Amino acid sequence: MKKTLLKASVLGIMVMGWISTQSLWAQSDPTGKKPITSTYAITNATVFTAPGKAGTKSTVLIKDGVIQGVGSNLSLPKEARIIAGDSLFIYPGFIDGGSDAGITAPKDPERPKDFASNNPPDEIAGITPWRSAVDQYSAADNKVEDFRKAGFTIAQILPDGGMIAGKAAIVVFGSEYSTNVLKTNTALLASFRGARGMYPGTAVGVMAKFRDVYQNTKLTKGRDEQYQTVAGVTRPEVNPTYSAMMDVINSQVPVMYQASSELEIRRAISLQKELGFKLILTGVEDYANVIDVIKAANVPVLISLEIPDDKAIKAQKEKDVNESVKAQYSRVKEAYDNAIKQAGLLEEAGIPFAFTTAGTKASDVMKSLNTMIENGLSEEAALAALTTNAASILGMSRVAGTIEKGKMANLVISTDSLFAEDSQIKHVVVDGYIYDFETKAKKKAGKSEDGAPAKVAGSWDYETESPAGSSGGVFQIAQDGSDYTGTITLDDPSGSGKINADLKDITVNGKSMSFAFDIAAGGMNITINVSGEVEGQSFDGTMSVDQFGTFPFKATLNPTLIAIK
Amino acid sequence: MKKLNYFLAALLGLSITYASAQTKKGSVLIKNATVLTVTKGTLENSDVLVQDGIIKQVGQNISAPNGVETIDATGKYLMPGIIDAHSHVALDVVNEATSPIVAEVRMRDMVNPFEVGLYRALAGGVTISHAMHGSANVVGGQNVTLKHRWGSEDPADIIMQDAPRTIKFALGENPTRVHGRGRGIQPRTRMGVEAILRNGFNEALQYKKAWEDYNAAASQKGNTKTAPEYDERLQTLADILDGKIIIHCHSYRADEIYMLINVARDFGITKLVFQHTNEGFKVAPEIAEYTMGASVFADWWAYKMEVYYSTAFNAAILTKNGAITSINSDSAELIRHLYHEAAKTQRYGGMNDDEALAMITMNPAKQLGISDKVGSIEVGKQADLVIFEGHPLSVYAVPQKTFVDGVKYFDIEKDTDDQRLRVSATEMVEPIFLTEEDHRCMQDVELNFSDISKTLFNTNY
Repeated sequence: MKKTLLKASVLGIMVMGWISTQSLWAQSDPTGKKPITSTYAITNATVFTAPGKAGTKSTVLIKDGVIQGVGSNLSLPKEARIIAGDSLFIYPGFIDGGSDAGITAPKDPERPKDFASNNPPDEIAGITPWRSAVDQYSAADNKVEDFRKAGFTIAQILPDGGMIAGKAAIVVFGSEYSTNVLKTNTALLASFRGARGMYPGTAVGVMAKFRDVYQNTKLTKGRDEQYQTVAGVTRPEVNPTYSAMMDVINSQVPVMYQASSELEIRRAISLQKELGFKLILTGVEDYANVIDVIKAANVPVLISLEIPDDKAIKAQKEKDVNESVKAQYSRVKEAYDNAIKQAGLLEEAGIPFAFTTAGTKASDVMKSLNTMIENGLSEEAALAALTTNAASILGMSRVAGTIEKGKMANLVISTDSLFAEDSQIKHVVVDGYIYDFETKAKKKAGKSEDGAPAKVAGSWDYETESPAGSSGGVFQIAQDGSDYTGTITLDDPSGSGKINADLKDITVNGKSMSFAFDIAAGGMNITINVSGEVEGQSFDGTMSVDQFGTFPFKATLNPTLIAIK
Repeated sequence: MKKLNYFLAALLGLSITYASAQTKKGSVLIKNATVLTVTKGTLENSDVLVQDGIIKQVGQNISAPNGVETIDATGKYLMPGIIDAHSHVALDVVNEATSPIVAEVRMRDMVNPFEVGLYRALAGGVTISHAMHGSANVVGGQNVTLKHRWGSEDPADIIMQDAPRTIKFALGENPTRVHGRGRGIQPRTRMGVEAILRNGFNEALQYKKAWEDYNAAASQKGNTKTAPEYDERLQTLADILDGKIIIHCHSYRADEIYMLINVARDFGITKLVFQHTNEGFKVAPEIAEYTMGASVFADWWAYKMEVYYSTAFNAAILTKNGAITSINSDSAELIRHLYHEAAKTQRYGGMNDDEALAMITMNPAKQLGISDKVGSIEVGKQADLVIFEGHPLSVYAVPQKTFVDGVKYFDIEKDTDDQRLRVSATEMVEPIFLTEEDHRCMQDVELNFSDISKTLFNTNY
């Protein structure tokens, strides 16, 4: 593994070196399309350098695709284009563990005249380990642009194909002047999909065939070695399948098994135990019941960045259904609720996972993430899955995953804290190139439909997420005309137990509500500002803590006797 | 040969593959039942003590050791767990229909412990089923023997790990239809089926010899012989020739049954069981002499041309000729009342109680190679047991409690409406319209047919 990492980084450096050479030529670019500078400074933005780190006001300086520095006292070179980031939030660029963006399936090869469906050539039967995703990839594809717009900067692209589709590669979603390839031959993509109308046609045939290919690759290796060392040995036959599988049996390249269901996950793990290859599980969708199995197998996991379709739940009727149907409804509902909790459970089990977007839509990325977060996944773990965990699974941690001096200039720049409701991605920096996206004006806060202030009086249960973990408590608001007073209980920052603080500056304007309170911690007096929107009985907002950053703050109004419907 | 085996065992890592976690074992004392031992007659008012999944004592006035639950079965019947020698329950894939020989595929790879059919089988007193590959190929895949440990999440936990390997063969209309008519390759006729078998076994002999030659040469200094191709298909056929795998062959007509007996004799194969075997009564003495018997339907017939010459007396005739005979389901529905199916041999053929019960217990156990472990109520056997209200061969019989390894997995008093272990988050709850029952022998095959051939040959057995 170390050796691979080393190779990766050497290649990475080479690629980056090449880009910087290119940028020198840019000055004589007759098209006028190329940027006039490759040095940028995004100043005074709220920068989250890594998952779990609080946002701090800093400037990020990048040059020739590399982060030159992060901080508040950077000296900015004259050629730097300055982007005022005062209202912006900067995160490390997202990394996609498995992507089909820009991938077009290769044409089916022509069937030979003597084609026999019981014994088809490997290439037709979906056994193509020699294929590389790079050959199927087009950076100009709309889907690449869509995922870049969603914040993805690096992706492991997966080849399209059958049971052994080919080799994945890692690309950067960067400029049109580069091949954008960071690393090739990063994993072998395998699945339980059978070939259509020929052997192996089903998952059971696929598993048998995989064993066959694996064992014959081992034997081929033995024959090759014998041929090299012993005179008089018959020349071993070169077989493209076994040649391309060689680095898999040598454990230099992991097998990425597409295993979406609980039983497929078990099948992939049992094949791995039987044959001994390095395994990465990808595209896992239904895994709540095998988290312990995954943990025991100690294999990296790429979960599908997708939540189950809620059509079935929405189709459940309320009227004219009998008890038995209701009972079945509730089991489906329960299954759905459990499914959207899974990512949180994976985090709880301490399994560092990343995402794969293969088969998903870029426009659903934030919705899926937010659903996972609303159902137990911490924002920190979500961000880690998008950045550091993915970098580590892909062997790219040295150059990507965080905002640090010397790393690739891959950034996501948003208008608000990333997972906040109205947050939008304004710029994505990939490999030092800045992509600008239109942002829509925020919904006008402060004016509810009838203009009347939201009803906020009562007792609220709240929850917050911060780097220190999640915490919660109760705050109470009393209303007297247009005046509000209140108190909040919170975890004592200087020890255990709860403390009380008075709320100040309580403002209710249409649907939006804000307030502040002071706490004493470590000899300092800290003011905490909370603001957000009231929607019926729920409050969705953020809590900003001086110098420490902004964190989600959600609350629910407890029903009072008067509120009984 | 030994060397080859060691080599392949190491190559396959077989030793680690099937090392599975300990499955649950229970202890229980069942009192005052009418115990139908199957092999040792009927014991009135008797007790059976189970400890750690094993039958420890059978007799009267047994008292429960500390901590062992007692179940009063006064007025009830206790019989060994029913064994279904032909089923496709709990398999995600049944047919790898794409080649006339697919000996390399393993049904154990496809076991789905969440299939509710397992629970329904338990509700019919069935504790073991032989989950078979389908009948689309002359040589199908390797089957798996399941113990119905309902609630297990790991497929390995419902596999009877101490059962021997078995494999599916199929003769007649199914393989000739799929390969001959469907794809224009051999076998198109019953002659082709025999040719596939003989060629397959001869290739396996060559394969075995190639490895033996290589292994002998490999230990010599300066060896220039290289390793042959690995081929699990041929290796599995070689294992059949070495007596390591029991053949279970889908068959109907007397001529094809006799053909396979001859092929088996020519290749020295003795571990052979016929499945369905509707014309078995015509060759019953031969089946008795050369094979491990036949596993038949009680009275299914006429669902396609090769199954017209049938009789409900088949099981009785086979039994009277000394062939080991079992009654199987091949169906998610019949598996729930195999005791009724067994009782039909009393109506058609006058079997006595022990003979009829043996058809769904001891005899299938023999055919699966597990009769030393299960199939009767005897001290030392695994405690797969069923408590019946009413004699199991009575039309009023209702299974009450079903035990596997002394653990109760079905109890009629705790039977709720929805016993599914897994429900999909995207499942539409819609009215279910009952259709004619679909049998699974040819499941997964239809994908490979054009619509017209599917319509023309839409038979499933």
